[in-house]
Amino acid sequence: MRDLKHLIYFEDLLQEANNDLVRKGKEDGNLCLGYTCYFMPEVLLDLPGCFSVRLRAPKCTSPDMATYYMSGRTCHYGRSLLERALEGGYNFIDAQLATETCTVTCRFQEHLDYMDGVINNATFKTSFTDVPFKKNENSIDHYRKQLKIKVLDFLKDEYGVDTSDEAILKAIEINNEVNDIITEIGNFRKLDRPTITGYEFSVITLVSMVCPKYLIVDKLRETLEELKTREPDDKPNYKIKVLLAGSENDDPDFIKLIEGCGALVVADRYCYGSLEARNHINIEPGDDPLTAVAKHYLLTSQCARFMEQKEMRHRKKVLADYATEYKADGIIVASNKFCEYWSYERMIDTIVLPRDYGFPVCSIEKEYINTASGQLRTRFQAFVESVELKKIQEGK
Amino acid sequence: MKKPDLKKLKEVNFKKAAKDFVYGKPHGERRLGDLYIPKTGLYKHREWRGIKDTMYYFNNIWLYNYGMIVRDLMVYGGGPKGAVQFLKGTWRYRWMGQTYLTVLHWFDRCLEGMRGETLAASAWHFRGIVSACLYQITGFFNRDANIGGDLALRAKTLGTDETVWGGIIYPYMDQGAMYLPTQMIPYFVTCHCNNHTVLNYIDAAQAYGLPGDPCPMCQAEAGIFIEDDVPDSYVAVVTTNEACDGSVGTSVIQDWMMNKPLFAMPQVMQFDDDTVLENCAKEIEMAWRFTEEQLGVEFHWDELVKHIKLQNQQNQFEREKWDVAANTHSYPINGVAQALYRIFYSQYGERPFWHDVDKKVRKIMEKCVNEDINTFPMTRHRVIAWSCAPLYYSAWCTWAYNCWGLNTIINMDSLMFDLDIRTDTYENCLLDIAKYHEWAPMRRMAVGGLQHIFELWENMEKFNCDMVMMYDQLQCKGMQGVVGLFEDEFRARNIHAIWMPHALPDKRTVPRSQIRQIINDYMFTVMGEEPLDPSLLDFDDSDSW
Amino acid sequence: MFFGKKKKKKSLIGRIIRAFLGIYAGLFCVFFFDLDGKLLYYVVEPFMKNHFDNMERRDPHTVPYDLIDTEYMQKK
Repeated sequence: MRDLKHLIYFEDLLQEANNDLVRKGKEDGNLCLGYTCYFMPEVLLDLPGCFSVRLRAPKCTSPDMATYYMSGRTCHYGRSLLERALEGGYNFIDAQLATETCTVTCRFQEHLDYMDGVINNATFKTSFTDVPFKKNENSIDHYRKQLKIKVLDFLKDEYGVDTSDEAILKAIEINNEVNDIITEIGNFRKLDRPTITGYEFSVITLVSMVCPKYLIVDKLRETLEELKTREPDDKPNYKIKVLLAGSENDDPDFIKLIEGCGALVVADRYCYGSLEARNHINIEPGDDPLTAVAKHYLLTSQCARFMEQKEMRHRKKVLADYATEYKADGIIVASNKFCEYWSYERMIDTIVLPRDYGFPVCSIEKEYINTASGQLRTRFQAFVESVELKKIQEGK
Repeated sequence: MKKPDLKKLKEVNFKKAAKDFVYGKPHGERRLGDLYIPKTGLYKHREWRGIKDTMYYFNNIWLYNYGMIVRDLMVYGGGPKGAVQFLKGTWRYRWMGQTYLTVLHWFDRCLEGMRGETLAASAWHFRGIVSACLYQITGFFNRDANIGGDLALRAKTLGTDETVWGGIIYPYMDQGAMYLPTQMIPYFVTCHCNNHTVLNYIDAAQAYGLPGDPCPMCQAEAGIFIEDDVPDSYVAVVTTNEACDGSVGTSVIQDWMMNKPLFAMPQVMQFDDDTVLENCAKEIEMAWRFTEEQLGVEFHWDELVKHIKLQNQQNQFEREKWDVAANTHSYPINGVAQALYRIFYSQYGERPFWHDVDKKVRKIMEKCVNEDINTFPMTRHRVIAWSCAPLYYSAWCTWAYNCWGLNTIINMDSLMFDLDIRTDTYENCLLDIAKYHEWAPMRRMAVGGLQHIFELWENMEKFNCDMVMMYDQLQCKGMQGVVGLFEDEFRARNIHAIWMPHALPDKRTVPRSQIRQIINDYMFTVMGEEPLDPSLLDFDDSDSW
Repeated sequence: MFFGKKKKKKSLIGRIIRAFLGIYAGLFCVFFFDLDGKLLYYVVEPFMKNHFDNMERRDPHTVPYDLIDTEYMQKK
């Protein structure tokens, strides 16, 4: 396929957290607000005068200082973030909007709060939001209340941010523009012969999360236009199509590794993926903008931390439905080492998805930055071969 | 026949030997480690504590508790039918048949070296724990559909995650409703009593595809369901998020394996905030509605108040105990008895057997205070134990006192539920119940912000402790996530802290001998002290219960 | 006759006392030499372990994972 015009530019933006557009956003006089989890609605951090940056620690393979603080037995992602913070790599953020949604990222954010001067930025403050484990009315009320106090009031009182309904509506509008573009780009993955690779799509999705949206949206729109006329290769360079599910993943090279083994990643149901993170935010009649935001982020999420019986069971079906919708031949479930939510979820998915929904599953455990790619490549190659064989046997 | 060595006989100090026989050897001459049969943890013979204490142990602890176990089985089990169910359950469930029969050895391990009032008061705590266990064991077996239990009783029984506070059932107790925490007896207590069986459950979870790194407690709690080793004694389930990500994952497995109506009553993590109480309170109310719908019972406010008032009495007595522990040398309860009894009754909820124990203990404690008895006379350091304890070696406190004079005054889990629940209005009561849930073990301190975990410093001061036994649960993500901050604080505050690595129920990760070695090393090298009982420094109990 | 009865009664009480003392002493030996522990450790636990290791158990892979569409499952 023809190379995407802006791909190298996008890739460059992912080389460090404090990238060119983040610096530009700050130069424009905006507040830079860090977050780590989908449950911190990025739309509220994109209020006028602010922009959100979902924190990453690219190329952090050896978080030595963070290992002193958090031991070597915690999630590599959380430790890498702390390492980057200790190195001074997040001094550009003006506030951290934290959530206690998984233990180790929460601990990372508590360190930012507790350790004097770890973020060398005089305006820096942290605010923690409690996120419910359910999706009932009580949870929505609670979540809305938390967002009001811990995000909006915090931003208004500490930084003088305009948090009016009009401001939120404007932020929703900007976010929806990006969401719609990404969703439309993502839809090319549903084609019989997709015109975008999983790697390219993950790069595009990621830049939309780590750059000020107003500075990246034009390039995203151009990329969408470009894709409308992009032709697939005559002979596909993949053998099977897969859905990638699992815990935190902001490393496009991991997807490149999978695709290098012959499995095109056509759907991304993991933290930092586009499904459900790039859904259009709707405002139902009678709801104020904040309620709409609370409902959107709570109800769309398929996070493994939801505990209602219906939710626990239903999310396996959601995964299978995505796989069907995106015409995937199999599912790769990848959990980060020491991620407890996904250790359990992966175990169940590995049994239930083949048994009840007929999807072959490749179940793997990975690091945040995958240096040991040889072992993973062997696993993926074996999976691709087994699915290929299955397809041949089924006469597909 | 070998002739007696008269020379040696001449060397014997008969006066001293007679004194030791009558009063027991003084601490420092006991050589308790010589009593063990290598590897097994069994005794060549049980400790001779002097005539009075040995006979007290034999009559009032060993014989009495064997007898009371039979009595409890008959009373709680409802007579001969209950006894038959008990036998069936013993044959059906590994955690019963392989574990709890060894209960008196649990007493032995925890009460080694104790004397006088300390021996008595600590033993009463264990009596309460055993009674509570039997109450639940008979409750399980009498209702268990797997072994022909009474289905009418089962229809009135709610299964719960073990960290759902037992008070959830208070409003329905007068209607015959029962609450059975599904992991407390089949898993949690087993690890203390006999840590062999839990390993089967951890292995079962891993054989099913779970990685080895999540919290082993959560692994075991999933494994016991995977192994189909939990009685089918309840019609519906209330679960919660215990305190961590792993427990949420476990709930997913449990739900699958139980396949019963389930209500999730998760509690907020960032709880130290009045804005979250309302959410918790509403979830508790919904759990009550679920219970009513599933068990066919009605909400009785008076019944709730009655039990909460009784529970408040227990909590008030606990505070009196802490006062004595903090400010005198007359606190007659050893570290392990304090920790296990407190966590058990606060979590399981108010029942008559706890009050019986408290009455007995109050009497003993008052005697100690009035007569100014030094209950742990060889105390060199007053220790506060912090974070989550090794379940397979909860008796380390007893060993540490006997070997080094490290007297564990209080521990983190004991301090969790320190709340008198208001009963003046429904609203106040509900809000306090919500807070009580939030203050459950681990949820209060190991996650949910740093402010509570660092209450260590003020509790050190309050309980006059000069040393910290810092539990280092290797697979607890919440606690591993703060090890460096603790290190920094210990250094800055010049506090003697011993890090005790462990993996909660799994003795294979850090064996007990290694835990002892770490403490020994610290005491020799950092504190520059010599042991009180050198025979306890190093012994092999690798295969013991 | 009278003396004989008294003697019989005395000897019965004596026998009961002796039996009681015998049992008591026996139990003390069990206690002191940890015979209960040894019996459980060397005989009972291995036997029970063997029983549980060989017990037929449900295959967890066969447990259904029903989708729930109502708030709670139907009462089972």
